[in-house]
Amino acid sequence: MIEEIHQGQILPPVVKHITQEKINLYAEASGDFNPIHIDESFAVQTPLGGTIAHGMLILAYVSDMMARAFGMSWNSGGKLSVRFKAPARPGDTVTVAGKVESVEEEEGTSCARCSLECRNQQGEAIVVGEARVRLG
Amino acid sequence: MPTTVGGIFADSNEDEMPVTYEELTVGYEFPPASYELNASLVAKYLRAVDSAGDDSVPPLAVAARALAALAEWLHLPPGTIHASQDFEFFKLVPVGGTVHCQAKVGRKLTRGSMRMLVLELSVADSRGQKVQSGKATIILPA
Repeated sequence: MIEEIHQGQILPPVVKHITQEKINLYAEASGDFNPIHIDESFAVQTPLGGTIAHGMLILAYVSDMMARAFGMSWNSGGKLSVRFKAPARPGDTVTVAGKVESVEEEEGTSCARCSLECRNQQGEAIVVGEARVRLG
Repeated sequence: MPTTVGGIFADSNEDEMPVTYEELTVGYEFPPASYELNASLVAKYLRAVDSAGDDSVPPLAVAARALAALAEWLHLPPGTIHASQDFEFFKLVPVGGTVHCQAKVGRKLTRGSMRMLVLELSVADSRGQKVQSGKATIILPA
């Protein structure tokens, strides 16, 4: 966990390699068996051209990064707002990065606003968004 | 008695059937559901997301089960994808805790062949205290 939060701070990144096995495990754990994630023969016929990771799997990595940086403040006072820009596919290496854009007072509590992004090994943005954490 | 649907207890009439996109209207409320976040389920989740975990359920695991509960009542065609997601986390749930989930249609948009839904979710613990809220935007295939 980061001891002192300040504007401009880079959050320790999280790097994960996506495999079909991990996607299948996530389908089992979440109950989301949409064939776009787990059925290559179905997925290859869609505009996506193959299976993709669940968006919520990628968000789990984002939340992991935020929890490592902010601990309980994230888990019981965090806000997340993201857009899925491109799919993460089996074989991709996803890097989750974040930066503290500002630390401001909100309703009497110090609040960190962070920019977030997940990129694949080619630098393509997969997820972009913002998080807010009450630090009090 | 609640209906058991894949480990999720729907607090509703057993005769209710999953609804389709066409049947949904803005403000439509899905049947509330309750589910236990037991140790086995949490362990499976942590293995899937490659995380160590602790005595509490990761907020995204709670969210994943909330979306799964919702999916039991909403018939989505294969190929439906997630476009955006908002969450606000209020408190953690201990492993073994039971939560209650409510969801409704926030927006419904059809433009040409594109069909989009905004689903609003709210999760509370067994004492009725707010655990998290969320808003999922999904795009259905043409």
